[in-house]
Amino acid sequence: MPAPSPRTKGQGATVAKNEVGLDARLKRLEEIVAALDSNTLDLGEALALFEEGVVHLGHARETLARTELRVAELIGPEGDAVGEMRVGDDGGAGDG
Amino acid sequence: MTDRPLDLFADPAPPDGGAERPPETNRPSRHPPRPRVWTVRQVNRASRLLLEESLPRLWVGGEVANFRRQRSGHCYFTLKDEAAQLRCVMFRRDAVRLPADPDEGMTLRVLGRLTLYEARGVFQLVVSRLEAGSEGGMWKLAFDRLRARLDAEGLTDPGRRRPLPAFPGTVGIVTSPTGAALRDVVAVIARRAPWLRVLVRGTRVQGVGAGEEIAAAVSTLAGVAGMDVIIVARGGGSIEDLWGFNEEAVARAVAGSPVPVVSGVGHETDVTICDLVADLRAATPSAAAEAVAPDRRWVGKRLDAMGRRLGRGLAGQVRSRRWWLDQLGDALFRRGRRRVQRSRDRLEAARSRMASAVRGRIRREAGRLSEAAAALEALSPLSTLARGYAVPLGRDGELLRGVGDFPRGRDFRLRVVDGYVPCAATGRPTDAGPVAEDQGTGGDRGEE
Repeated sequence: MPAPSPRTKGQGATVAKNEVGLDARLKRLEEIVAALDSNTLDLGEALALFEEGVVHLGHARETLARTELRVAELIGPEGDAVGEMRVGDDGGAGDG
Repeated sequence: MTDRPLDLFADPAPPDGGAERPPETNRPSRHPPRPRVWTVRQVNRASRLLLEESLPRLWVGGEVANFRRQRSGHCYFTLKDEAAQLRCVMFRRDAVRLPADPDEGMTLRVLGRLTLYEARGVFQLVVSRLEAGSEGGMWKLAFDRLRARLDAEGLTDPGRRRPLPAFPGTVGIVTSPTGAALRDVVAVIARRAPWLRVLVRGTRVQGVGAGEEIAAAVSTLAGVAGMDVIIVARGGGSIEDLWGFNEEAVARAVAGSPVPVVSGVGHETDVTICDLVADLRAATPSAAAEAVAPDRRWVGKRLDAMGRRLGRGLAGQVRSRRWWLDQLGDALFRRGRRRVQRSRDRLEAARSRMASAVRGRIRREAGRLSEAAAALEALSPLSTLARGYAVPLGRDGELLRGVGDFPRGRDFRLRVVDGYVPCAATGRPTDAGPVAEDQGTGGDRGEE
């Protein structure tokens, strides 16, 4: 696995908190860990990667701490509108 | 009207009454009966009523021939056995529920009412249900046919199945917006991964047209930016209820979806076409949700592990540098020691070279010394003395060379080869005659 440059993807605090999904954070963390396990970094790069990893970890844990699932319904003939949806309060009158 | 016995010799009584009634004069009377002339329409109407009223709905079994589906949606065919044929029609409203057209010669059973098509005077069975005589019926036939087609195209090939994203961000759900399936799926996701973005596209999940709605919903959700995985869900039901999920449109939409599709339709024993072309077949809607939503505890453990690996990684970086420094230090020290040793060796070599040079020099000098000594020996006056010469020496041992050194009465000593002889000058010295042979040029000087 090629060692990623520590600066290719937004570094440390510049990673926007809500724009990066859990998947992207975990992938980046994997890259960082792999890079730290290799011997191709100088110590400054290693430190920068470590700090970035800690930021990702923190945000990922915040994501995990969310408790309320939000469900939206795609409406309109083309599915071009979105409406909040409440699920499970109608007593299950459905057919399926 | 139905309880009135049919009297073929009475006037026909069309159900809509009035206009069709023959004139009173045609009624039988005391006049001798005249041949009664019916209109064709009256005959057909009477026959139709007779048929419809006298026979209930019937199940009829036979082989199918000439099955045709008209553009109008109505289907026409013939049922026959060895001895007879029966014309059948299945009108659009019933035919749309038919999952497949029967094959020629297939054994069917149909439920229908006998009637007469008045316009043509054709006796026929109006079919409302059509079932294949074989096990599974028309549903199985349609299923097998579509499956064979999809198999041939490779759309059911397990190798086409894509892995689901391990950590999806957005999940689409195609199902009835009011069904239990949606509640089940949402409950599972809320429990396991409440951070997910869930988008629902509600559809009908049974009845005519459900398949098209499901297919369209899959395509719509697949087109949403950031969509990671789609769940198609429905609770259990009869094969007829689930039929929408066996339609070709659904198969095409699922197979053509750019994002993975999980099919959670029916119960464990129900397999639909949708299941076969989906990237994952889950036994139930809940199982589909579990396959899609990572469990938060598992993700948490993964994050913990990741944190530890991060720390270990950095520590490793530091450790490897320390090791490297140690190695470097050792190498430097060894190299220094080697260099000192080399200098010491060179010094020792120089010292011993110098010593041997000095010794050689001493030996050479000693040789020269003995040579000099020999030469010196050769020059010694003693050998001259031994030949009979004598050397006059003054009181202090000074050499007395010429006549001037010997005034009258002077005492001196003669050194001869084996000792000294005391002497005195007794007369006046005279000049020498011819030069003594061993004194070289001395005689020349004496003559001046």
